[in-house]
Amino acid sequence: MPGVYVSYPFCAQKCTYCNFASGVFPRDWEPRYLDALLREIGAHQWVSQPETVYLGGGTPSNLSAGSLHALLAAIPGRPWREATIEAAPGGITPAMAQAWTSAGINRVSLGVQSFVEPEIRRTGRKHSAELVARDLQVLAGAGIANVNIDLIAGLSGQTAASWNESLDWIERLAPPHVSVYMLEMDEDSRLGREMLLGGVRYGAGDIPSDDAIAGFYEVAVARLAALGIPRYEISNFARPGFESRHNLKYWKLEPYAGFGADAHSFDGRLRWQNPEGVEEYLDARPAPPAVEARRHEERFFVGLRLMEGVRPEQAEWQRFAAPIRRFIDAGLLEKQGEVLRLTGRGVLLSNEVFQEFLTT
Amino acid sequence: MDREFIRNFSIIAHIDHGKSTLADRLLETTGALSQREMMEQVLDTMDLERERGITIKAHAVRLNYKADDGNWYQLNLIDTPGHVDFSYEVSRSLQACEGALLVVDASQGVEAQTLANTYLALHHNLEIIPVINKIDLPAAEPERIREQIETVIGLDARDAVLASAKQGIGIHEILEAIVMLVPPPKGSPDLPLRALIFDSWFDSYRGVIILVRVMDGHLRVGQKIRLWSNNQVFEVDAVGYQSPKAIPCGELSAGEVGFLSANIKTVSDAKIGDTVIDHENPATEALPGFEEIKPMVFAGLYPVESHEHGLLRDALEKLRLNDSAFSFEPENSVALGFGFRCGFLGLLHLEIVQERLEREFNIDLITTAPGVRYRVTTTVGELVEIDNPTKFPDPSEIKQIEEPIIDATVITREEYLGGILKLLEDKRGVQKKFEYLGGGRVMLLYELPLNEIVLDFYDRLKSASRGYASLDYHLSGYRVSPMVRLDVLVAGDPVDALSLIVHRDFAFERGKELISRLRRLIPKQMFEVALQAAIGNKIVARETISAMRKNVLAKCYGGDISRKRKLLEKQKEGKKRMKRVGRVEIPQEAFLAVLKVGQDDIE
Repeated sequence: MPGVYVSYPFCAQKCTYCNFASGVFPRDWEPRYLDALLREIGAHQWVSQPETVYLGGGTPSNLSAGSLHALLAAIPGRPWREATIEAAPGGITPAMAQAWTSAGINRVSLGVQSFVEPEIRRTGRKHSAELVARDLQVLAGAGIANVNIDLIAGLSGQTAASWNESLDWIERLAPPHVSVYMLEMDEDSRLGREMLLGGVRYGAGDIPSDDAIAGFYEVAVARLAALGIPRYEISNFARPGFESRHNLKYWKLEPYAGFGADAHSFDGRLRWQNPEGVEEYLDARPAPPAVEARRHEERFFVGLRLMEGVRPEQAEWQRFAAPIRRFIDAGLLEKQGEVLRLTGRGVLLSNEVFQEFLTT
Repeated sequence: MDREFIRNFSIIAHIDHGKSTLADRLLETTGALSQREMMEQVLDTMDLERERGITIKAHAVRLNYKADDGNWYQLNLIDTPGHVDFSYEVSRSLQACEGALLVVDASQGVEAQTLANTYLALHHNLEIIPVINKIDLPAAEPERIREQIETVIGLDARDAVLASAKQGIGIHEILEAIVMLVPPPKGSPDLPLRALIFDSWFDSYRGVIILVRVMDGHLRVGQKIRLWSNNQVFEVDAVGYQSPKAIPCGELSAGEVGFLSANIKTVSDAKIGDTVIDHENPATEALPGFEEIKPMVFAGLYPVESHEHGLLRDALEKLRLNDSAFSFEPENSVALGFGFRCGFLGLLHLEIVQERLEREFNIDLITTAPGVRYRVTTTVGELVEIDNPTKFPDPSEIKQIEEPIIDATVITREEYLGGILKLLEDKRGVQKKFEYLGGGRVMLLYELPLNEIVLDFYDRLKSASRGYASLDYHLSGYRVSPMVRLDVLVAGDPVDALSLIVHRDFAFERGKELISRLRRLIPKQMFEVALQAAIGNKIVARETISAMRKNVLAKCYGGDISRKRKLLEKQKEGKKRMKRVGRVEIPQEAFLAVLKVGQDDIE
């Protein structure tokens, strides 16, 4: 059964680390965008009932109760097994939470990124640790216990001590799901551009080194495991049974339908994407053509992201015999019976491993 | 043509002093080319020549000029390469002339190269006509330059022509001076044929084209000719001159300059400086000055893609058809695979060949650090010439090593003396002469090991003098020196392509620098990599590249698989451009790191 992804790229501000097509746009684009979204969803031919819904952003928690209701009403299959909304932490009211649950939402992903104030400020965000704690109480009050908290390892000014402070807060708040992203620096984010150009405004000079970021990540892996929140995917950690059903579809090459700007879709055979920017989407400009998924490659470079690993077929064991041998010897892959998976060290060097499974 | 009305001359000038523009102006003024046909710098026909403003191949253009005395003259302009790498070619071109224009920039003054070529011309008894060019520029000081020509070169410059080739000033005066001052050619049409080869190139339709100056006798279509140095006999199928287009004329006689073709297959058969004689009625004496030219600088050329090895060999063979001065032989490197050891006249020559290979044949190349040819006497008394560090015998088998030594002339401005003297010391130079030239200029004569020049001397000279230094050199002999081979080990494996020969006293320091440079150039690998420099079994420097801790994509946003794939493909592509040595991926730049050793971050 497919998952549904809906993109709502509007934000109150653009975070310095953000390299997505999200951001601040003219106010009158929002109603136009919602109209376009509803038209796109309405025109979709549903082959089967969706099992999961993911409302990503941007900041979909800014959607009005009415808009959210209309949007979700357009998607068949309610009540869904899992319906997530991404939310900006620090201002979730009981009324908002109520509106979400009545629209069918049963999971919230909070873009906390850090619990340490100077780090939060440098990203351009306004919440605090205490406000996040209050958000969780509000959500619990509305019956939403399935909450994810996002953290970023590698924020400007982050240190081993401050990173542990954020992890202390995770311990205190005990969410069932945590995502830990290692900061990616590229020319698509303000921070990345600043780093490349040598500016100072967003603190690019205080970005921890790659080695330090790797160290933070490994501390998180260990501490979360000790809290009973083991890693099930490179950046995702959950109490058993709280893994994101929607995100698992990506990694297990199951189908999903994406709506909105820059949304990606996969029908089990073809992959395609919508126009990248809001404006392009509104103008219905042409998007890149659909391409046939190369399953035999994807099952490795996507599938190996899961800690459960993959079960290569006989022919695949043979075809990739040399790199598999090399990576097992180097301690990046491990083989257990029929299963091939990344080791802890292999996770941090996973791109090195994945490249060898590209056949082109 | 009556020899009384023939004038053969060339132009001596430093790069950028306006030689090509002047040549164009002479062509234009004498009507060899109409203005419509004028493309700037007609004579430098290779793309490379035009872009760099240098002349690589010689040309000979015939100009018909009606002088003020009312007579028509045949003026043969022989345009020669100006760079020190090609000084043998220059000397042959000069031998074909009776006069030379010495073009000096009115603000820059005499440069080392000009000086060297002028002495070469004087040596061939050429009549030299000083031309002070670019007098239209605001910085021009023709009087100062006139004085400089007199004091530095020792040439009477009272009648120097003041000119601006660009503005067309002084062109008529130059033409008149050529007619009046350059002597008509000597030699006799009645003697058996002797013609000097001063350039040759390969034309895919007509075979080898040879530029000659007929000294004695006649050269005709149908004539059987013999080449003095190799006794090969050919039948002449075309004779003509360039004006600047090739114009067949059936015959060239004593004093004239032109081309011939005779179904000759490779340029190495028609060597520059050789004498063309008549097969039936051979002259008994060759023209003087012929030398087999020998490469002085050697480097390994390897295709980046190892499957392009055959392509590279074909390309080298084709280039050699046109350039007999460079040599190549197959070479095998553990690190770089199959490639070629190539010999060049100098660094510019190396660069030209390298660029032509990349441009005309589309081959990506890795060039190893250039070196020189050493004479090694082994303990059993055998003398071997070695141009590849990896072929150096074991130190225990070496009795002595001799390295090529040059006499280098540097002309610069006083304010840069400090840096340049230090550079020359660093490069193991021995001062032989130090002379103030007036006007704030200094001439230095140094004895230097050639090996020190081929590494990074030009770059450092340029930066020490902000470009206000010119260099000329010629081989002066060999000297016994305590040279050692410095090896580089990456992760314990010696990388042959990184080995270099250094003076024993510098080995430690250079080893250290090389290793630290490599540490910055070789990206982190999945494991720790030790870098070592060694002389024999002795490690002289060591550094470690720490293991890569992370290369991971954290996000899988909204199921965007294509972004992931693109990033992985990009990383994989980047690796393809590196050479895998053992388990370590080494980028191309690392192989050139050797070049920069001894250059303590002067920028």
